[in-house]
Amino acid sequence: MSALRMPRVATVQFKPFRAKGWGRVAFLVVTSVLMLVPMYLLIVSAFKSQQDILQHPFSLSPDQLTTEYLRKAATNPDFNIGKGYAVTILFVVSVNVLSVALAGPVSYVIARRSERRYRMLLLLFVAGTFIPSQVLVIPVVYTLKFLGLMGTIPGFVLFETTLTLPFSIFLYAGYIMTIPASLDEAAAVDGAGKHRVFWSIVFPLMKPAVVTMVILNTFSVWNDFVNPQIILGPGSGLYTVTTGVYAAVSQYSTDYTVVFPTLLLAVAPLLVVFVLLQRHVISGLTAGATKG
Amino acid sequence: MRARLTTNLTTLSMVGPALVLFVVMLVVPVGLSLYLSLTDWDGYSANPAFVGLKNYVSLTHSAEAIRAGWVTLLIAAIGTVLLSVLGLGFALLVNGASRLNAFFRIVLFYPHVLSALVVGFLWSAVLGTSGVVNGWLTSKGTEVLPFLSDPKWALASLIAVLVWAGFGVNVVLYLAGLQTVSKDLLEAARIDGASKQQTFFNVTLPALAPVVTVNLVLSLVTLLKTYDLVVSLTGGGPAGSTQTAAYLILWDSFHNNALGFGSAQSVVLMVITAGLALTVARLRARADRGVQA
Repeated sequence: MSALRMPRVATVQFKPFRAKGWGRVAFLVVTSVLMLVPMYLLIVSAFKSQQDILQHPFSLSPDQLTTEYLRKAATNPDFNIGKGYAVTILFVVSVNVLSVALAGPVSYVIARRSERRYRMLLLLFVAGTFIPSQVLVIPVVYTLKFLGLMGTIPGFVLFETTLTLPFSIFLYAGYIMTIPASLDEAAAVDGAGKHRVFWSIVFPLMKPAVVTMVILNTFSVWNDFVNPQIILGPGSGLYTVTTGVYAAVSQYSTDYTVVFPTLLLAVAPLLVVFVLLQRHVISGLTAGATKG
Repeated sequence: MRARLTTNLTTLSMVGPALVLFVVMLVVPVGLSLYLSLTDWDGYSANPAFVGLKNYVSLTHSAEAIRAGWVTLLIAAIGTVLLSVLGLGFALLVNGASRLNAFFRIVLFYPHVLSALVVGFLWSAVLGTSGVVNGWLTSKGTEVLPFLSDPKWALASLIAVLVWAGFGVNVVLYLAGLQTVSKDLLEAARIDGASKQQTFFNVTLPALAPVVTVNLVLSLVTLLKTYDLVVSLTGGGPAGSTQTAAYLILWDSFHNNALGFGSAQSVVLMVITAGLALTVARLRARADRGVQA
């Protein structure tokens, strides 16, 4: 996994005050502007009227700005954003807790046992990363119906947790193998059971791997659209931030006084988390991108 | 004997819960997909008829499915090339530990944090027929541009937005790769008087070869699954011209009630994705050996 760490080391030091160096910076500044323009439009348009957005999309005159539309979006009858945040945070926390609780112990067994069947078990789990979830959700609907869990919070959380298992187990098992087994043997001699050895000795040492997975799972659950849309469906009345945005925006996609404020409210929490924890988030999400 | 039983039970209690969940929510559904792909099930009837490979045969005759297949491959192919070229290019530009570089890295990466659904809605508000850019063009007295209303433009816009939202990840992967390029070799090339271009093509690029391969195949696998962005940016239109495989599969399965046919498409997509993912795994194993060697 070493290739996935966020690079912090300099290889080439660019000397300041060189014409070439300034060309590079100028080019990057132009690119940054292109990258940030949609975000700029999203933020300023959330405070403007439809006419103002269309005629002067880039302008920012303080006397024209209003929080009226933002307040309207926050109290939209189609999508209660406060409840959306609450539901999504509930899902994020449940999936993270359940994912660690399930993937941790099984990864420990896989990492510490050398028998062939445990290697096969790892292969079975890792094979799960090859299944695209947008397609898997179709038969899962019928499995959940059979179990009586279709359209319910437990059904959704269990499926979303399952999607986290393959990469979690792959990452955790690899990480535990780097922790010396002599540590848990010493604890076992002192009479601690396997569960106890794992949770009190090994688990605290797995922190970097767990942090990576928690970041990855938080963003993937928060941003997931197809799974909550299909499993929870419009009938259940349960909206995550993403399915709520879909419900609120897709019918009024040309009323920009609805679109921009709603989108801004949906992305604001994640952007704040990203800015505060950017180094961890970038390395976590990049590790996730390579799970294929 | 008793001690051994206890050990086995402990092991079972650690492996069991995860394994049961995995089997119920992943292995069984994949099996169900395979089975359904051999039936004419509509999602409701109690007794779906077994039709053998009929769904797979109709797949090869369905103009819509074939178009979605081509659209998906086109997105994956063009997108992969752009992601890799821009990823490597910008990685070279923002390599180095200055604060300014750290800022540029964040700016290039941030769209990846946003959900694809939100990115699509945002860009459709920017590029739509009555969107921000066209509203601005109209107020300037210029003709509007058909970013999302002409089939070719819409596909190009879709790919452009995918690249805008995704290439930051490639930048970070290439940056990680650049840290593994031997500093001794770079130093030796410099002392031997090699130009920057010579150093890049003869030292840096060969050392990056494994990272390049991983980037190419990863982008390909990700782009083959494109779905959310299609929903929010183009809705598959105009006239179905931007429907991807995943979009059509979900449409056929739930809106057209053709679950058997949808499942057959799913199986084909799963096989292609798994084939590519296995290729990634194999290339990555080779790359790791290359790094160690």
